[in-house]
Amino acid sequence: MDEKTRNELLQLFQGKLNRAMRFYLETCSRCGVCTKACHVHESMPHVKYIAAYRAEIVRRIYKKYFRSQGKLWSSLGQSKELSEMALEELYEAAYSCTGCRRCMVYCPFGIDTQMIMSIAKLLLIGASTEPEILSMLADMSIEKGRSIDVLKEGFLTGIKNLEAEVVKKWKIEAGETAIPIDVKGAKLLYVALAGAHSIIPAAAVFNAAGENWTLSFFEAVNFGAFVGDPTRTRLILDRIVNEAKILEVKEVCICECGTAFRVMKQMAGKQPFEVSSVTEVHARYLREGRIKLDKSKFEGAVTYHDPCQIARNGGVMDEPRYILDRLTEDYREMAPDPRYNWCCGGGGGLVALGEETLDFRMKSAKVKADQIKSTRATILATACENCHTQLDNLNEHYNLGVEVKFLTSMVADALVRH
Amino acid sequence: MATLYYLILVPMVYIAFAVFLLGTAIKLVKLYKAPKHPSTLQIFPEQNPKWLWALYDTFLLPTVRKHNPLLWVFLMIFHICLVLLIIGHIELFRDFSIFQAVPHTIFLGKGLVGLFLSVSLLFFLFRRFVSPNRELSVPEDYYLLILLFLTVLFGSQMDWARAWYEYGEMGVEDYREYLMSLLYLKPDVPANVLFAGHSFMLVVHVFFANLFLMSFPFSKIMHSFLALPMNKLRRG
Repeated sequence: MDEKTRNELLQLFQGKLNRAMRFYLETCSRCGVCTKACHVHESMPHVKYIAAYRAEIVRRIYKKYFRSQGKLWSSLGQSKELSEMALEELYEAAYSCTGCRRCMVYCPFGIDTQMIMSIAKLLLIGASTEPEILSMLADMSIEKGRSIDVLKEGFLTGIKNLEAEVVKKWKIEAGETAIPIDVKGAKLLYVALAGAHSIIPAAAVFNAAGENWTLSFFEAVNFGAFVGDPTRTRLILDRIVNEAKILEVKEVCICECGTAFRVMKQMAGKQPFEVSSVTEVHARYLREGRIKLDKSKFEGAVTYHDPCQIARNGGVMDEPRYILDRLTEDYREMAPDPRYNWCCGGGGGLVALGEETLDFRMKSAKVKADQIKSTRATILATACENCHTQLDNLNEHYNLGVEVKFLTSMVADALVRH
Repeated sequence: MATLYYLILVPMVYIAFAVFLLGTAIKLVKLYKAPKHPSTLQIFPEQNPKWLWALYDTFLLPTVRKHNPLLWVFLMIFHICLVLLIIGHIELFRDFSIFQAVPHTIFLGKGLVGLFLSVSLLFFLFRRFVSPNRELSVPEDYYLLILLFLTVLFGSQMDWARAWYEYGEMGVEDYREYLMSLLYLKPDVPANVLFAGHSFMLVVHVFFANLFLMSFPFSKIMHSFLALPMNKLRRG
């Protein structure tokens, strides 16, 4: 690696060194308490998959260039030069970590490995060695934001075609729109994913609850966050923030996408609207008696996979259980404490990388498959697109014999008139 | 030899404290001058009041207790004994009525504190010889543990000599005279300290302690200051 490239990469590294990051990089005592925290390590016991080891790969470069110890006594902390080989190590560390932050629950200091891995991801972007497809998807999202006026018509036609499906699930009054779009002054802006499965059931539930809602032009997923680029994460996020401001909505409701929810909830900053997940909104409708569910709709035991970004990292834990309590008589918990629920193994952009990561995703999530199997449930519900895809893959790979379902779809299918 | 003893007991102590105090202060200022993270880093479910839970996490190490109970026992023994030893060293300067609320001869614990501390340090050291801790460890981890062990061992020997073998040649009054002279910047090493039968133990103890203090700001021992704010970040 030439000096110029290294300096540019170190500039990127420096840019990530805020207070929390410096705390995390200064403090690890390598006590090893996090050994059992990572699903990858528990499924494939290799030291390189221990959270502290992953973080140390970044920390060694930090020691070399940003810490006096690395300059005074380099070998003491095994500080390491930023080189091509170091980039390869960073790639493996960053893209074998799903950013589930389960290790944070174990660490006596609460070190956030996902955050440390964001340095690795940014350095990979700087060196143009990041996964190309994630970068491309992030760019496409940003481009959509810029050319929305051109794309609007095609989008509206596509949505119009879905309306009949929505009505099949929940009949609306004459003159009402099944999927309202671009409604200024609507109370709630629903941000879905690209795909009918993310729009139809949610629309049916909103209509059933009599919600004054409107559908966003943009898809919720934030590929900028997956690829670890703060600038692109912000640009993708801002498309929705601006839309919500223009429409003067009071609430932005994010579909079943963990990353999208966490990014919007925690990174949007102070805004004139509230941010909620669709699961929270559905639980609220149930509490307020705005919708009613048929408890006999689903046969067999049901279990629920807490998406890491929505539960452990987003705080939505009670709501899905409240909903499931009204959907089934036989609900079975996966873990006694949702904080300790195993990651599905598909986060951090791994599912978006598709076939390329399939073998690793299956091997590294064996503990998740075992956890699902031990519930003996026949329906596996979840509230995240990434998790759903990964759980579907696991179901097939490990012959789990479950039906993987979106919680929103279950709510929509079980809707009953008052 | 007396010159070497003097160099370790006087100039090196001043240098070590200067490096420790300045290094730690500069490091903390540098860390706190860095911008705050723009969003929350908390883990859910949240419990309130958050600061109280952060204190609980910092001082009672519940995550270690849950996931590695044996390590937790030694960590708790180690840190409690460390506090008792720090109190003991403060009492070497002069009497503090607050510490004498439980009447005792200096040091607290009749020599057992140093013993527990030494055993804990050996445990921390030997567990690093076993996989996966062996692969996770870097030289700094061994360096600090060995340095602390040697500091504690030689320091404790003086305590054990007095507490267990009634060795009275070098007593609290001698240390007090030496330490107060350092404090008032009028260094004077009493003959009893310099030429007593086990003076070399004191000198070796101070030597390793000096090295430890000088390593402090440049090492993971900074967790002494950072554990609480970090746990607060996790609690939100």
